[in-house]
Amino acid sequence: MSRRPALALLRGCLELAPLAALTFLFILPILWMTTTSFQAGDKMFQLDTEWIPSVWHPENYSNALAAAPFARYFLNSTIVSAAIMAGNLVFGTLAGYGLAKFRFPGDRIVLLVILATLMLPLEVTLVPTFLVVHQLGWLNTYQGLAGPLVIDAFGIFLMRQSMLAVPSDYIEAARIDGAGELRILWKIMLPQCRPALAILAVFAFRDSWDQYLWPLTVVSVDRLRTYPLGLVQFGQDYGNPPTEQMAVAVMATIPVFLLFAVLQRAIRRGFGLSGLK
Amino acid sequence: MTHTPSAGKPLPRAIADTAAAAPARRALRLGYGNRLRLCGIAFVLPAMLFFLVFKYGPMLWAIGLSFTSYDMVSAPRFIGFGNYESLVGDPVFRETLVNTLVYIGGSTALITVLGLALALAINTRVPGARHCMTIMFLTNLMPIIAVCLVWRFLFHPYGLVNQLLRHIGIGRIDWLTGAETAMPAIIIVTVWRFAPYFMVVFLAGLLAIPAEYYEAAQIDGASALRRFWHITLPQLSPIIYFVIVVSGLLCARIFLMPYIITGGGPGNATRVLSMLVYETGFSYLKMGRAAAISVVLFAISLAFTVGQMRLFAKSEENFR
Amino acid sequence: MSTRKAISRRRAVLQGIGATAVALSLPRRGYAQAKAPVHLGFWTFDNPQQRPWLQKRIRLYTEKNPNVTVDFQWFPFGDLGKKISVGYATGTAPEGFVSQDWFMPLWLDKDLIVPLDLGRLGYSSLAAFQDDFAPAFVSGAIKDGKAYGYPLWFYGYCNYLNTKQFKEVGLDPEKDAPQTWDQLGETAQKLTIRKGDKFSRQGFKFAMHAAAWTVIQFNPILIGAGGAWFDSSGKCAVNSEAGVKAMTTRASIALKYHAEDPTDSIATNPLPQLDWLKERCSMFMQPPLPPVLVEHENPAMAKGHYYRPAQYPGYVAGKGNSSTYGFNLVINARAAKEKQEVLHDLYRFVLSDPVDAWKSAAPFPLALKGGWTEDPLVKKFPHVEEILKARDNGVPLPRSLVYNEMADSMHRAVQRILLEKADIKASLDTAAAEIDRATAAYRKA
Repeated sequence: MSRRPALALLRGCLELAPLAALTFLFILPILWMTTTSFQAGDKMFQLDTEWIPSVWHPENYSNALAAAPFARYFLNSTIVSAAIMAGNLVFGTLAGYGLAKFRFPGDRIVLLVILATLMLPLEVTLVPTFLVVHQLGWLNTYQGLAGPLVIDAFGIFLMRQSMLAVPSDYIEAARIDGAGELRILWKIMLPQCRPALAILAVFAFRDSWDQYLWPLTVVSVDRLRTYPLGLVQFGQDYGNPPTEQMAVAVMATIPVFLLFAVLQRAIRRGFGLSGLK
Repeated sequence: MTHTPSAGKPLPRAIADTAAAAPARRALRLGYGNRLRLCGIAFVLPAMLFFLVFKYGPMLWAIGLSFTSYDMVSAPRFIGFGNYESLVGDPVFRETLVNTLVYIGGSTALITVLGLALALAINTRVPGARHCMTIMFLTNLMPIIAVCLVWRFLFHPYGLVNQLLRHIGIGRIDWLTGAETAMPAIIIVTVWRFAPYFMVVFLAGLLAIPAEYYEAAQIDGASALRRFWHITLPQLSPIIYFVIVVSGLLCARIFLMPYIITGGGPGNATRVLSMLVYETGFSYLKMGRAAAISVVLFAISLAFTVGQMRLFAKSEENFR
Repeated sequence: MSTRKAISRRRAVLQGIGATAVALSLPRRGYAQAKAPVHLGFWTFDNPQQRPWLQKRIRLYTEKNPNVTVDFQWFPFGDLGKKISVGYATGTAPEGFVSQDWFMPLWLDKDLIVPLDLGRLGYSSLAAFQDDFAPAFVSGAIKDGKAYGYPLWFYGYCNYLNTKQFKEVGLDPEKDAPQTWDQLGETAQKLTIRKGDKFSRQGFKFAMHAAAWTVIQFNPILIGAGGAWFDSSGKCAVNSEAGVKAMTTRASIALKYHAEDPTDSIATNPLPQLDWLKERCSMFMQPPLPPVLVEHENPAMAKGHYYRPAQYPGYVAGKGNSSTYGFNLVINARAAKEKQEVLHDLYRFVLSDPVDAWKSAAPFPLALKGGWTEDPLVKKFPHVEEILKARDNGVPLPRSLVYNEMADSMHRAVQRILLEKADIKASLDTAAAEIDRATAAYRKA
């Protein structure tokens, strides 16, 4: 009888092994990035590169931070990403609620119009968006960096789908009781849409954190650079070894992973995966 | 007549309004209905205005610009279809267009297939599968600039990929500098980055398929393959459609991967339209021509989305 | 009444004393505040030695002229031209900037920079100005008898040799420095070490990562072969017989002598001179190398000083031309008149101490022909004669209205030839056709 739990554990490990191996292989690049960030710069691209450093070089991190104003770049990225995340949460919720729980003339068309903007990303509208932002006087400003990205159709669609699932009885009841729409939104809808909000928060933050083409276009002064611009520049400048580039890459990865870790459970519910073992 | 939910009662997951609410609404229709309508409009108004200024306005401007020659220093000059004619006659543009279509097609297909495969692999009763899914999902969150830099080093002739291949007997492949391997390399990176997200989407879909269907099929003696083909796929087809459209739109706008990993090379092998838009507009200062290229890119996205809608409608008929 | 006069006179005297006392107690700046404040924008490219020196000179000027404030910005070397173009387009271009020499035709064609007032710069005539610089430096800046740019640095590339590796394979770094392109190939072959299908050391390396470098490297070979980028009618001529000969030479190091691995360069350090600094290649053609960079990257090489710059090889021994380019200080045509005047003074001040430039930014030489090269500080710099010789016998980059398109087309052609083993004439034909299309499109616009 005492052998059964041990046997069960062994069997579980064996069953998991192929999946675990696949997972390991899949995330190998992330692991490589992390170990390489502690590697000596000279060790890159030797013919038989050692993938686990024999000597660890944590000074890659401090060297990279000292070589370029990454603290500033990361601060800029954080400000812009926080603003975009907040904007998506607020306006996605507002528009999602309007589309989910209200009927008004043209509401189907509005939904289509909003979804159609998925075909109009910045890569397609780059030149005129740049001209618009220039007209607004927003070149080289935080508003210019965040402005065109502050509302996205993905967020609206996500919130709408989530709100459709909330039964309208409660809303009706609250309306009859005389509650205002914003109160209903805040007290009734949002608490039930937490998973969707979590998903939206993580993805809005990640998409903004990733942005390169737009900041490249709209920023021409160093003090407003976001970290992707800084990192690419860093890789092109004199004497910055790839190991230090990897150190910055690791530093850039941590915030997104952290946000995900914090919101993980809500995200899983949001995807409908609570039933997964 | 008040409807207050009793404390502790679980919320029903109904999608449509319940019939009980309708009489209450009818009783208060005058004024109330209009007020609700105005509220609805007010809620969507900010987003609509935003999209007008930052999406539709610029798109119309881009279409207008595409008929001009504009170097930004002097005023735009109307040249009719001149930009489009010169694009058609430009081998670099034609190659870039083909590259973009190959890239979108290849990446979308592989993302869908791999996403579904991973979801099926996770959807076993194996304990710990959930953790594997979470870990694999991390590749979708990693900053895309980090993804590009890391893979550029991994694909180096002496990099990790070649070293692993060497262990299984495959010789050196110059991934990023070979004309035949550069685009596949970019596609590999794209699939690696996006498949986990769709794995999760497929997984949610798989979990939603009622177990009774499979049980009934097993009782009838259907093999695993038949179960997959006749139960899983039809049940998943709306999700498959969603995945294809969304990943297609994602791939159409990709800029950073080819830009950082191969710079569009070797030669023109990995240049895609979004790169061409940026170069033409901000390096060669031909804003009108860049706008024309972006109109083409938009047309591709539109055709892809509409095409999927029709294909999906047709396949729905087949499965009924 | 007299009391009132006395009082008012006393008051006036007191006020006078008070005013003087106040004036004396003010820092010296107070007097200069009488001049109207001038605010300028100034942009340049980033370089660890050159940019800080420029910034220092400008700061010294603003300390001497406190009414002038300068917003100093810098950009990556390859981005500066783009940023300035977009700046002009959006009305945010700076009043003064450093123009890379090959962009001069663009600014001149669109009337974006002003002709310089040579008198304010201290020259009595255009001839006197031209005398101060070699023709290669000023020819791009002079149009219709007016000078539009004040040359800053102009330098030529040298073939830097790793003397330790030369000696290892039994070569003499002085005598065996390659004089012709064929010698370069053979020497590189001797220096190459291969392990299976990998190079543990490449004898020679061409940079493959950026279009700018492609043009810089191909330029002297093309000119040396008797070719030209454009013929007299403006049609692209890289696919001429001389062009094909030049490109064959360019490709020969990798394809004929097997002394180079073109695929290695793209994914490694974007600055391939780092490969040379890390001793993964024995010879590399690069701009003058600051010793501090060597110390930073390879202290052993710095300490042992086992490197030296040699002149470019040519098709005829001893007749090599190096690749040169430079930078001009220019003034935005849209800047206000007073700002233009201040910029003249600023530029004159910046270049008034050439030896100081050498102190901070050695070994990048200024374009100025004389007046500083005899200084002992300059003379004692190792190999300075080679560096100056490379500057003087170099060929400038092509000055084209479609420089970016031209560079990108050549870059693609070189990649096709070296990475896909494409036919050289066909590749050059494609590039020439692309460049001609770009020129025609520019002319139409």
